[in-house]
Amino acid sequence: MIRYILKRLWHSGILAIVMSLIVFFGLYVVGDPVEMLSDDEFTEQDKIDLAIELGLDKPLFEQYFTYAGGMLQGDFGTSFVHNRPVLELILERLPATIEISLLAMIIGLSIGIPLGIFSGIKNNSRASKIISFFTTVGYSTPNFWQAIILIMVFAVFLQWLPASGRGLTNSMFGIEWAWLSLNGLQHMALPAINLAIYKICMQQRLAKSGTQEILYQEYMTFARAKGISRNRIIRRHLLRNILIPIVTITGLEVGGLIAFSTVTETIFSWPGIGKLLLDSIHMIDRPVVVAYLILITMMFVFINFVVDVMYAFLDPRIRHQK
Amino acid sequence: MNNTPLLKINNLTVTYPLNSEGSDVLKALDNISLKVNSGQIIGIVGESGAGKSTIGKAILGLLDPPAKLVSGEIRFLGNSLVGLSEAQFESLRGNQIGYIYQNPMTALNPVLTIGEQVIEAIEANTDMRGKNAQEYAIQLLERADVSFAEDRLQKYPHQLSGGLCQRIVFAIAIAAKPKLIIADEPTTALDVTVQQSVLQTLIKLSQQEQIAIILITHDIGVIAETCDYVYVLRYGKHVEQDATNKVLQRPTQDYTRALMASVPLIEKRLHRFALNEEDNLEDTSTGLHYLQEKQTTQDSTNEPLLEVRNLSKIFITPSSMLKAKQSFTAVKGVNFTVQRGETVGIVGESGSGKSTIGRMILGLEDITEGSVIYRGKDLKLITDSTERRAHCLSMQCIFQDPYSSLNPRMSAGENITYGLKIHNLIDNNKAGSLAQDLMSLVGLKRKDADKLPHAFSGGERQRIGIARSLAYRPDFIFCDEPTSALDVSVQANLLNLLKDLQEQFSLTLLFVSHDLAVIRQMCDRVIVMKDGEALENDSNDNIFEQPKHAYTRSLLEAMPKFQGLAQY
Repeated sequence: MIRYILKRLWHSGILAIVMSLIVFFGLYVVGDPVEMLSDDEFTEQDKIDLAIELGLDKPLFEQYFTYAGGMLQGDFGTSFVHNRPVLELILERLPATIEISLLAMIIGLSIGIPLGIFSGIKNNSRASKIISFFTTVGYSTPNFWQAIILIMVFAVFLQWLPASGRGLTNSMFGIEWAWLSLNGLQHMALPAINLAIYKICMQQRLAKSGTQEILYQEYMTFARAKGISRNRIIRRHLLRNILIPIVTITGLEVGGLIAFSTVTETIFSWPGIGKLLLDSIHMIDRPVVVAYLILITMMFVFINFVVDVMYAFLDPRIRHQK
Repeated sequence: MNNTPLLKINNLTVTYPLNSEGSDVLKALDNISLKVNSGQIIGIVGESGAGKSTIGKAILGLLDPPAKLVSGEIRFLGNSLVGLSEAQFESLRGNQIGYIYQNPMTALNPVLTIGEQVIEAIEANTDMRGKNAQEYAIQLLERADVSFAEDRLQKYPHQLSGGLCQRIVFAIAIAAKPKLIIADEPTTALDVTVQQSVLQTLIKLSQQEQIAIILITHDIGVIAETCDYVYVLRYGKHVEQDATNKVLQRPTQDYTRALMASVPLIEKRLHRFALNEEDNLEDTSTGLHYLQEKQTTQDSTNEPLLEVRNLSKIFITPSSMLKAKQSFTAVKGVNFTVQRGETVGIVGESGSGKSTIGRMILGLEDITEGSVIYRGKDLKLITDSTERRAHCLSMQCIFQDPYSSLNPRMSAGENITYGLKIHNLIDNNKAGSLAQDLMSLVGLKRKDADKLPHAFSGGERQRIGIARSLAYRPDFIFCDEPTSALDVSVQANLLNLLKDLQEQFSLTLLFVSHDLAVIRQMCDRVIVMKDGEALENDSNDNIFEQPKHAYTRSLLEAMPKFQGLAQY
């Protein structure tokens, strides 16, 4: 186990270096931050001064090593645009993204999996066909369009839920959270549902195909022949087996939600990190983009690690592999 | 004690629809009746497709749609089982009637421990809970002859052997002391070496607990050893029924006789299996001519065709950054020779290295140490590419699994000749007729050459595999367990075919099998292998009648003997 964790850390270190190289040099090709930050009144001298101030006058590889050196000491640099430490910027917005992503995932799992198991077992029933029709539609219509429909129905016509912002926040462990107040929850509802629709559809399809595969395994018939009740067979024999692929996908999806909920956050003016990334790329705010993507890479490595552990927990055949 | 039988089935008919409207149906069971008294062991025997398993599933209400119970009566202790609700069946299953599946590795859920699976059966069918259930589970495993019962509860199915898993399935089946157990091919998926003892455990349990058994099998040899009464089925129809010894000694039907003749015997080597084979109506002359043309190259020297010297194979798992390299010796210094026209058998349990030897001879596996001399030459030392190719092509292989060894996207004919085409040994327009010639030679119909592999049965596919290897006009064929995936009766047909082909074309065969009886029938000389070493290498008669090595003797003792069948 320790050997495995060390191996993982080693891999993630390499990944972080490769990632930082690609992003750092990639952004250099895209454009010059000095041009983006200077306005019409800037003289050539002003621009040179600005470049010196930001460290952009040095050769590119030297800039990279300065930045990488800082990062090794936990300093992710300072934003060109906001003139504040990058880490502070990201951490300030991260809780908003995390709470909305997790809520969406919880909705997705708790609705999608039961629907999937149901439609897998009752494959030929009318209900199953209706469910599969809606999940196919949900899966294939664009996210932003679903967001607009949600806003029109629930915010404009029915006026049940607010369409933008994060609402009131309360503090827990020194971090501001929206889910601690009713007002905050109301603000979370629409963006969370918007993110969840896609997840429900995907989980339904995954659980359905898993169920249909497992249902006809001999150990399912044997479990029935043992005289075990239908409910117990579904809970123990079926669920345990279909969870194996679901866990893998869910892990990656949580990462995806946290890292790239940009569209939904923009539409609902949700103050998360997705919007920060978009703005930073626009302004070629290199320290923010590089730090953001490295953190996201680390997060994916961590999620994959958790997935592997859960995988081994769920499937003993993997646990006992040498 | 009243006279109500434990289970009585009257005129049972079960159908599968063959088209979506259901107007055309396959009768999996056609008007079948049978009776089981309490404590009795009855056998149901027949080939695949005879509907044997359908009977067991119908009794327990486990028929999966679209199978449909059309008519008939199933009475258990006088009560009808037809049309019970799922809840009523639940109280019956496990509790009154136990079920044992063919393959224990697929009958046990791979992600739950043995303990969880045994205990849930106990909790579902008895009043025992928690610690009591746990203790009872250990008792059950011990009764089913599972060693280290307490430790095994923590294990998962993949950590145990097939034989142990099947014993655990037995323990589950007897948990609630049911009155009847339906055992659907309980030993077919196991290594021949453990079949006998696993079967004995089942019989012992049924006698201890006074449990009746319906034993479903394709192997009439298994029935001979265990059952009081036997029903013979074919294509879902009743063929014959009587007390086992009567059926075995005086079978009234040809079909029963053929089933009995197809069981390979270990006592005596027969020239052929005495089957009532249908005559080959196809014209085989062109195929015969094609193969005999080649025979001219045969030299008359007394040199062995194949000589294996000190052959070893070590498999190495390469080291990774954080893991040391691991090695496993599959074959240890094996020596033997094979004369022209001879059949040499290699017998051993799974993992004994027998297939690895064949793969090294064919060059499919690198040789770690030692050498293979074929037709007087070592393949490694041949530099001329034309000679090298001829050398390789004259060695062919028949694989174990007839399902995965044919390309499913190519027709039977293409499967047979595509290798020849790749080597430019034949042109396209001749390939079609050659494929047909060869198919007729192996007992298939010429007109079936255009069909895809899935249209053929397992035995027929294996015939295609044989035709494919014959296409190269080989001197030597490596047969890697060619019949272990097949029913006994299909196996007998195929072994007869191999014997015929060998006689006609003086082929040299290296025949690998874990089944001693098959080796007994097929081979002139036998090599016994264990853990990569050749323990014994002697003539067929010597190995089977005067085995020298203790391991050979223990293998022979584990084999079932069927005196009753010996006369056929």
